[in-house]
Amino acid sequence: MGSAIEAKTHKNMPGADKEADLTERIEAFLADLKRGGCGTGPIRGSGETARETTALLRKVTAQARWSSAGDLMEIIRKEGRRMTAAQPSETTVGNMVLRVLKIIREEYARSRGSSEETDQQESLHKLLTSGGLSEENFRQHFVHLKANVIEAINELLTELEGTTDNIAMQALEHIHSNEVIMTVGRSRTVEAFLKDAARKRKFHVIVAECAPFCQGHEMATNLSKASIETTVIADAAIFAVMSRVNKVIIGTQTVLANGGLRAVNGTHTVALAARHHSTPLIVCAPMFKLSPQFPNEEDTFHKFVSPHEVLPFTEGEILSKVNVHCPVFDYVPPELITLFISNIGGNAPSYIYRLMSELYHPEDHDL
Amino acid sequence: MLQIYTSGATSGSFRGGKQKKGNVTSEQEEEEQPLQAVLVADSFNRRFFPISKDQPRALLPLGNVAMIDYTLEFLTSTGVQETFVFCCWMSNKIKDHLLKSKWCRPTSPNVVHIITSDLYRSLGDVLRDVDAKNLVRNDFILVYGDVVSNIDVSQALQEHRHRRKVDKNISVMTMVFKESSPGHKTRCEEDDVIVAMDSKSKRVLHYQKTQGLKKLQFPMNIFQHGSDEFEIRHDLLDCHISICSPQVAELFTDNFDYQTRNDFVRGILVNEEILGNQIHLYVTQDGYGARVSNLQMYDSVSLDMVRRWVYPLTPEANFTDQQGQGCTHSRHNVYRGAEVSLGHGSQMEENVLIGRDTSIGANCHISNSVIGNNCTIGDNVVLDRAHMWNNVHVSSNVEIHQSVVCDGAVVKEAVRLNKQCVLAYNVVIGPNLSLPEGTVVSMHHPEEEEEDDDDEFLSDDQEVGHSKDKTRQKAFNPAEVGPEGKGYIWKASMNDTEDEELAQCLWGLVLNPDPESDSESEASEESQDRTFQLEVLGTLQRGLEENIVCDNLVLEINSLKYAYNITLKEVMQILTRVVLEYPFQQQGTQLTTLQYTGSLLPLLKTWSPVFKNYIKRAQDHLDCLSAVEELFLEQDTHQTAMVKVLMKMYQLEILEEEAILKWFSTGATNDKSRQLRKNQGVMRRMSLWRKESEEDESSEEGECGR
Repeated sequence: MGSAIEAKTHKNMPGADKEADLTERIEAFLADLKRGGCGTGPIRGSGETARETTALLRKVTAQARWSSAGDLMEIIRKEGRRMTAAQPSETTVGNMVLRVLKIIREEYARSRGSSEETDQQESLHKLLTSGGLSEENFRQHFVHLKANVIEAINELLTELEGTTDNIAMQALEHIHSNEVIMTVGRSRTVEAFLKDAARKRKFHVIVAECAPFCQGHEMATNLSKASIETTVIADAAIFAVMSRVNKVIIGTQTVLANGGLRAVNGTHTVALAARHHSTPLIVCAPMFKLSPQFPNEEDTFHKFVSPHEVLPFTEGEILSKVNVHCPVFDYVPPELITLFISNIGGNAPSYIYRLMSELYHPEDHDL
Repeated sequence: MLQIYTSGATSGSFRGGKQKKGNVTSEQEEEEQPLQAVLVADSFNRRFFPISKDQPRALLPLGNVAMIDYTLEFLTSTGVQETFVFCCWMSNKIKDHLLKSKWCRPTSPNVVHIITSDLYRSLGDVLRDVDAKNLVRNDFILVYGDVVSNIDVSQALQEHRHRRKVDKNISVMTMVFKESSPGHKTRCEEDDVIVAMDSKSKRVLHYQKTQGLKKLQFPMNIFQHGSDEFEIRHDLLDCHISICSPQVAELFTDNFDYQTRNDFVRGILVNEEILGNQIHLYVTQDGYGARVSNLQMYDSVSLDMVRRWVYPLTPEANFTDQQGQGCTHSRHNVYRGAEVSLGHGSQMEENVLIGRDTSIGANCHISNSVIGNNCTIGDNVVLDRAHMWNNVHVSSNVEIHQSVVCDGAVVKEAVRLNKQCVLAYNVVIGPNLSLPEGTVVSMHHPEEEEEDDDDEFLSDDQEVGHSKDKTRQKAFNPAEVGPEGKGYIWKASMNDTEDEELAQCLWGLVLNPDPESDSESEASEESQDRTFQLEVLGTLQRGLEENIVCDNLVLEINSLKYAYNITLKEVMQILTRVVLEYPFQQQGTQLTTLQYTGSLLPLLKTWSPVFKNYIKRAQDHLDCLSAVEELFLEQDTHQTAMVKVLMKMYQLEILEEEAILKWFSTGATNDKSRQLRKNQGVMRRMSLWRKESEEDESSEEGECGR
């Protein structure tokens, strides 16, 4: 009864206004995503993008008009498709949409009374018996579903906020005194990780500058401000310096479904050099970067930005004679990676598939 | 949210659906001082004729997206919340386009107002209307509808606001320029400028278009104005983005002769002492900004866009948010829309954009090209720097190099389009034909252009529909467009000199030196010139009688100039003529040469400041000399006096030696050899005298006094 009244009030005057406000918010977010990432990558960190996406989806859940879980999932899917299309290289957006969809499924299952465990587990037997039950099941109406979903999304938000700290907390297990550590470019997670270790231990960090955007310079400045001994090297010197390095710690833009990385340009070089010298390669990646995408499965894998950084526009005549490209990402195959450190602990690349099935529902993989 | 204002010839006013909402937000904006922009969706010239006869320039597709969308996206991404789009030529089409676009959706952060009028003839008219309607309340961004840019102007905006805060209302405009060295493909030759600016305050001290000038002149005061450092820069690309204070609109109203931004900038700089207004510059290295002002620029900007210089405004971003416009981007900058089919053995080499539902046959080679939606391309086709718009049909064995093929055009078998060809809307070409370089084919017969000429001047505005049926009756020439062809060579019926100019104009190679004087109707001009000449004569006479200071004479002539709407060049020529004829006027035409020079030379001396005021640039010198020459060709009995006149003018530093030498050398090659031969005696003496003066500077006085 209560919800019926609620639905009615929604339909009346405040509903339209709220909805307009919501679409405006979504449009603004989409426009931001589209414009984001001039040159040096997104203006916001991916953590922030993840939080913003989740907050927006919470707003959608709270304000959009829906009566059953199936409706809501359809709405979230529709918005999710638009958001991921706005900036395909920003995978965290898609990941968060999948997480929310999974939450809805779970809450629905709980409301129905079936235990989470049985619903989650995929087995051949279940596939055979359950047949075409999937979507119709979500039509049932539950009074408290909305509140529950919002509550669960709030939990997700809290989890997101703590990711960097959770990862940084593990630093002391991996960084020992007087080690030489190499990193490439700038990653907020790695920065926090190193800074956390520096509270107790003395070590030396070598930062590859990561041309042409040279985010490594910013990283080095930040580290040296935290009184960590820091050296900046050119990308070309990575192989030469690698023999001195004890550990390579890098961040990434996306962890792919096969355990590979899509990371900033130059990471592959570092990974290969590390493999050659048998140096362990550790990737700091929060769980929200885990994407069900496989490498090269679509054309959107790459991102090419304005070639301005490679050959400035001011050069003049030569620009009409040459083709200049400026790709942003490298693909690093899983066999080059030793360990992933996420907010829930360390994992080998071969375990990624398992995490994937825990985080996302297999039916949601393509929106 | 959308509001449409109509004014001038279009009657009635129609307001968009969400009127109530619009009011609410405008009240909110009042408090927040939203950033406003004025977008001029008309070029006020005919550089894109005959293409822009059917479609306004702002709607021409660049990378399969209308140019005005790039401009609006640029404005929106810089945080503009309210944009006024001013349309004149084919305003309905622009209005329809905008109403359908994402800019007019209720969720758009940028509220677009469309203002149409048939009366706009120039940027000046638009800004005067802005002032009359009192549209801008704060600093605003002024752009044209064909600007493609991703420059972040927030920095420039901040600087501009800071300057305005520090010294109230002195800075009226900040122009955004992009650094790019000369020779850059994307530099538009017409817009080449040389700017002198103060390094610290970024104040513009001198601004000059360099196009066609071999020699540059800088006023002395820029060297003396007291700043420690200043820069003279030629490595700047004009992005045609300016941040203006509300006063700009007022200044345009006050000075009704300002037509373009160039007029405005020059006017402000000249009157800086009096009005105290300043113009500043913002030079950026990052970002991309260019205006598509001719087809040459269209070609380079389109290629720049495909090469991702304008990132994030790339084709695959689908920033216009239109259904089905999306495409994928793969290596070597190859973009493919939905449902593109590519035949066996066809290669898309690099920098290729193919719109949706386009099919390409076998064994084609495509590079550096943009192909629109719904095109069909046959087998063995070679496309290099081809710009094809929508619904184009190209048969087999066709070669297209650096050409534009507009909507609905058909290219039949074995046609070859050489560089810089243009096939306008719905033209059919071929089969078996090779179009020579620079051919422009259009469904509009060039003659209809001439018929239109009387009532149409600078702007692209004209009703073309009425002449359509006439066009139909004229037969197509199979030699020009092929046996099955449809269309007319655009330049064919023009007279020789003009057509050359027009064809190249489209591509922007050779420039029409003075487009304004061309377009004015000749008949009324003659009589205006005549009255103006009499007025100038009267002024000078009075000046002599009442001993008026030369500066005041200049003022009077200037006001006459405005009253009769005479260009500066004509003022100078008429002035020269009046002065040289003055002795005849006073003492009758029966003077001997000696008497003539005797009375003329003192006059020249008295009026030399007047001359100096008008003769500044190198071109002015040549114009003045040609006026002198013209006069003495008429007064052929007094030709010997010419050398003395020139000598005197040189002595008084009215004319420069280089200018005289140049005129002499070009004059020798002039067609009228008969008169030249008569002049030869004069010339010989002059060149002799000049040589002497070069050899012996110190004895110059004596030589001249001869």
